[in-house]
Amino acid sequence: MKKLAFLILLAGLTGVSPLAAQDNSGSGDASETAADLPMDVPVMVEEALAAGIDHQYTGPWEYFVGGGAAAFDCNGDRLPDLAVAGGTSKASLYVNRSAIGGELRFEEKADALPDDTRDKVTGLYPLDIDNDGHRDLVVLRVGENIILKGGPDCSFTEANRAFAFNGGRAWTTAFAATFEPHLPFPTLAFGNYVDRSAPGSPWGTCHDNELIRPIGGGERPDYSEPSMLTPGYCALSMLFTDWNRSGEPALRVTNDRQYYREGQEQLWRVSPDRPPRPYRRSDGWRRMQIWGMGIAEADLNADGYPEYALTSMGDTKLQTLDSEAEPDRPVYRDIAFDENATAHRPYTGDDLKPSTGWHAEFQDFNNDGRLDLFIAKGNVQQMQDFAAYDPDNLLLGKAGGGFLEAGDKAGIALPRRGRGAAIADFNMDGMLDLAVVNREAPVSLFRNAGGRTAAGGTRPMGNWLEIELRQDGVNRDAIGATVTVKSGNETRTRKVHVGGGHASGSAGFIHVGTGTAERAEVRIQWPDGEWSAPFRVFANNFVVIERGATTAQYWYPPE
Amino acid sequence: MKPIHALLTALAFSALTPAMADEMNEPWAERAISGHVDQSTLKGRLDRETLDALRDKGETLFGAKFTELDGAGRKVATQAIIPTKRKRPPDLEFQRIAGMDANSCSSCHSHPVIGGAGDFTVNVFVNEGFVNADFDTVDPQFSNERNTNHLMGAGLVELLAREMTADLHRIRKETLHTARETGEPVTANLVTKGISFGRITAEPDGILDIAKIEGVDTDLVIRPFSQKGVMTSLRQFGVNAMNQHHGMQADERFGTRWTGEADFDEDGHDNELTEGDISALTAWQATLPPPIVMVPDNERWREAAAKGGAMFDTIGCNECHVRALPLKSLDFTDPGPFDAAGTLRDAEIDGAIYDLSLMDWAKDLETNDKGEYLIPTFGDLKRHVITDRQVAALGNELLGQRFVERNEFQTSELWGIGSTAPYGHRGDFTTLDGVIRAHGGEARASRDAYIDLSDTDRSALIAWLKTLVIPR
Repeated sequence: MKKLAFLILLAGLTGVSPLAAQDNSGSGDASETAADLPMDVPVMVEEALAAGIDHQYTGPWEYFVGGGAAAFDCNGDRLPDLAVAGGTSKASLYVNRSAIGGELRFEEKADALPDDTRDKVTGLYPLDIDNDGHRDLVVLRVGENIILKGGPDCSFTEANRAFAFNGGRAWTTAFAATFEPHLPFPTLAFGNYVDRSAPGSPWGTCHDNELIRPIGGGERPDYSEPSMLTPGYCALSMLFTDWNRSGEPALRVTNDRQYYREGQEQLWRVSPDRPPRPYRRSDGWRRMQIWGMGIAEADLNADGYPEYALTSMGDTKLQTLDSEAEPDRPVYRDIAFDENATAHRPYTGDDLKPSTGWHAEFQDFNNDGRLDLFIAKGNVQQMQDFAAYDPDNLLLGKAGGGFLEAGDKAGIALPRRGRGAAIADFNMDGMLDLAVVNREAPVSLFRNAGGRTAAGGTRPMGNWLEIELRQDGVNRDAIGATVTVKSGNETRTRKVHVGGGHASGSAGFIHVGTGTAERAEVRIQWPDGEWSAPFRVFANNFVVIERGATTAQYWYPPE
Repeated sequence: MKPIHALLTALAFSALTPAMADEMNEPWAERAISGHVDQSTLKGRLDRETLDALRDKGETLFGAKFTELDGAGRKVATQAIIPTKRKRPPDLEFQRIAGMDANSCSSCHSHPVIGGAGDFTVNVFVNEGFVNADFDTVDPQFSNERNTNHLMGAGLVELLAREMTADLHRIRKETLHTARETGEPVTANLVTKGISFGRITAEPDGILDIAKIEGVDTDLVIRPFSQKGVMTSLRQFGVNAMNQHHGMQADERFGTRWTGEADFDEDGHDNELTEGDISALTAWQATLPPPIVMVPDNERWREAAAKGGAMFDTIGCNECHVRALPLKSLDFTDPGPFDAAGTLRDAEIDGAIYDLSLMDWAKDLETNDKGEYLIPTFGDLKRHVITDRQVAALGNELLGQRFVERNEFQTSELWGIGSTAPYGHRGDFTTLDGVIRAHGGEARASRDAYIDLSDTDRSALIAWLKTLVIPR
């Protein structure tokens, strides 16, 4: 009530609607420049074609959603390579040939993905499933999902039979994975969309989702016994997340209200050796219905508990634990308005209709030590009530909290329908680059060229670290680990996870901007909960931390 | 009501502003800064006239007694290098421990000339200022107490460090390249200007084993300033010190770009020091004349010093207190090449070159057969463990600093030592004999050899050290 009264009062005072009163609907004064913002605005140079990537995500209704990308190193040089879904076009894998610190260059490896797995691909997530040191690729499809076993030099072979994995025939649009205690391989979760064969489809015919635990203790994964996550509400993103710091990640699912009946957002309790169970109203879980498209997680207020950005049509949600929450009572409230992160309509141009948000990801694009929020935006196809020109958002984190929109000033406000995305440092210069998969439009590949100067040039931004975690045996990439980077009074945290975003995942170096800090103490909470000793590292370096090591190592890109 | 009140206040302020501005410019105005230096005027190689003008401004800032009208004080900011807010404003603006602890740079760097060293009375307390910003004790568990170093010849010291860092980075790059090319691990010694900093091993995949690096940070940046050798540049040190000691916050670190606020310390003054102001301070310090080796008028002193100088080498003092390091270039670029974000960097602007060869003192620098300048710092710009179980007087700090252990210090440059008593990082020693006897750890053998000398030889060594002076 208080908030409503405030909004009405505000509207009365200013003579504008409550939504218009919030500044995040646009970049404000049209004459405002990047130099007017109280932080560095990264200059994002679109160079996909010049870099060798000419790719579109295409197809009819089934491909209105999906459109994922995966950034991960598949040839052992530590430079992130890029796999892109194509819908009715072929999915492709591009090997990173970028010069260090230079322009982006990719080379398509046509035979990397088995040809019969490249069609009908909606999304891609990399992870090392069989613990062999090569990242595998989970391929989400309209129809049978595929696990591609990674080998040397970006070679992939279909492993459904080898892993006893039944890819089913659903329309799959979401994925997440976690390593549960005492299991030798990851537990996989697949989120499905509309069951097209059900009577009455598409309305109210959402497919169930699946959770697949590995069974047996063999040398190879055995995923032959899936459990159904019923009911399914047309999932478009899912993420294993340790929402209550219990050390036991739960499965958060965002669902598209367009097609479900009586559905809602979901959080599944996934306890070892027990069937998953959804949190319900009696557990404190509040019903929320949105056109859920993507999930991003970050601990924005450094309280140890993650906040969640949930993209949708209209307002993006930004949820934080409410004061009524308890260790097993997930009560959330929305702080998107307070944090200037609703991103509810285009921030530039004349189209004032609501936005449609897809991939969301927290990262620090300007290395000022504060997390930014990228949101891929784009009309579903031709929905008249929603913005046709709907540029992607780059919400830059402010000192003291909250965000400022800088998408246009950064150069990412293109007239394309964004879907999935991959954020990675493709040219290993310490600044995060961005690949966006667009529906029926070329993939956008933005090179981060540095902070924009008043004169229109670029300059280096803040200090940074990129951290790689390694451990032997199960879970080589330490999925589920927490990375803390402490400089002075500030501690920055990152979670290593597989899932979320929109049909897109990345694996590899974990990027942390450190602002003016030129050194930091890094500690790792490994997935089993064990804390490492502090590692003392200098900023502007690539750091490799092996479990059990007493010192961190530096890695240097080839010069 | 509030907006109306604010509006009236704003109108009143703007009505007063011209008069106030006039008052600020009166000769008796209680301000130390009458105008800021415009960084955009400092590009390329500065001629002598321009450099002198900049040095004058730097000296003015170095000697200035900053006032609250300049922005002195840091009401809600700690002394931390990373901009950090206090939990509450301090009761007193001046405070000898957490600061601000000095009204001017020259109030400590004063002996025997401005830019020189300081007595024990002007020791400073080094604490990161992140957690216990308001501690009010000199208990060493909360802070390290340090004597004030002199800054004479500081530009040459920084240039040496830059060239050595560039050498180490080149070695690292070549080692990594060779490992990648051959597919085999490659080990390389980190030697620059005759100083060894241990070794590195590069793996074919680009991983670098840094466990055997010695006496320098693992990023192989030689940071030549502070007793620990943890500050990269005069520029970085200047920005740090201006905040810590005076509450004068440089825009390049405490300004809007990094903190979101033009007045981070909330003392009512935006952008207290511009990039140009810090350049002026840097230029002045970088061009300070180096100390000299004085030739005593007294013949006995001359004879003793000659003998003592030889003794210095005989007992191995010169292994760390290296007599001179060769320097290729006297071009001091500002900003420098190795600073990190938060200190203005060379890639951020078209910077300036301060040509130290324009200085009158430069003609007195010796050169070797390669045309390199021989800089007689009597140091090695390397950190060493300076205590052991038996000889531990210099291990009186409890806190490490910026990853450097408590008993590890950068070799003090001995040039000027004859003018800068008391001695030791805390100024604990009133005599040179006393501080030599306190050398343990890696210096233990030389220290023992010194003690084993005859009284006459020890006296001769002191006689020689006393000739390393800062001229008045």
